[in-house]
Amino acid sequence: MSYLMYILLFGLVLGLVAVASNPSPYFAALGLVVVAGVGCGVLVGSGGCFLSLILFLIYLGGMLVVFAYSAAMAAEPFPEGWGSWPTLRLMVGYVAGVGVAWGLMGKFWYEEDWLGFDGVVELSVLRGDVGGVSLMYSSGGWLLIGGGWVLLLTLFVVLELTRGLSRGALRAV
Amino acid sequence: MTPAHFAFSSAFMLGLAGLAFHRTHFLSALLCLEGLMLSLFIALSLWALQFDTMNSAALPMILLAFSACEAGAGLALLVATTRTHSNNRLQNLSLLQC
Repeated sequence: MSYLMYILLFGLVLGLVAVASNPSPYFAALGLVVVAGVGCGVLVGSGGCFLSLILFLIYLGGMLVVFAYSAAMAAEPFPEGWGSWPTLRLMVGYVAGVGVAWGLMGKFWYEEDWLGFDGVVELSVLRGDVGGVSLMYSSGGWLLIGGGWVLLLTLFVVLELTRGLSRGALRAV
Repeated sequence: MTPAHFAFSSAFMLGLAGLAFHRTHFLSALLCLEGLMLSLFIALSLWALQFDTMNSAALPMILLAFSACEAGAGLALLVATTRTHSNNRLQNLSLLQC
């Protein structure tokens, strides 16, 4: 289990390196999909199966699909992958930076067990994170209402921004 | 500092560096912002999971809702930029005319 977690964490960092090294948006969206999938694995390995499901369904299934669709607006005739020289140079630089940080922080590490929530409870129906998320509907109700209000406000922000050039928030001057 | 802490901290710093340096497309900058929010989601989830605090397991959900707001506003700006400038390169945004 520990080796699998190390592989997943390595994939997390390497995926962010692939996003941050300025490839074309197609490839950057692909890198972010990889990061989200690996993050699901990290959360499962730490014992948060419900949070991992939320990340997989809502984030990867809802938001990243919109991002991958929006990559059509960044179309270019010669897309630049990770094999081209400027991107590869940036990738090598970021990996070297992470390696230097690893070398500096390595002596402060301690090994932990990967058992998170309810790690020693076997065959339990209700996991801890399910109970924690369900608290959002009882005692965290005002936070839920605030989040819904912010989402409603964002709807009007998006409608005003994409209304057109003649009227709305964005106008031709 | 555990390896998980190092992993999401370095993921956050990588996303921040990628947002700050060398952006060609506006969509790439938005994808780096999404990477930042994703590392924050994993950080909050691991914080709730490893300290056995059941009450703070709802915080990543709220963060995800706010992240959806940020993604929606950013993509609306992307659509508006594509309409006015016909592409989304960030160099065109400094021309100060439509």
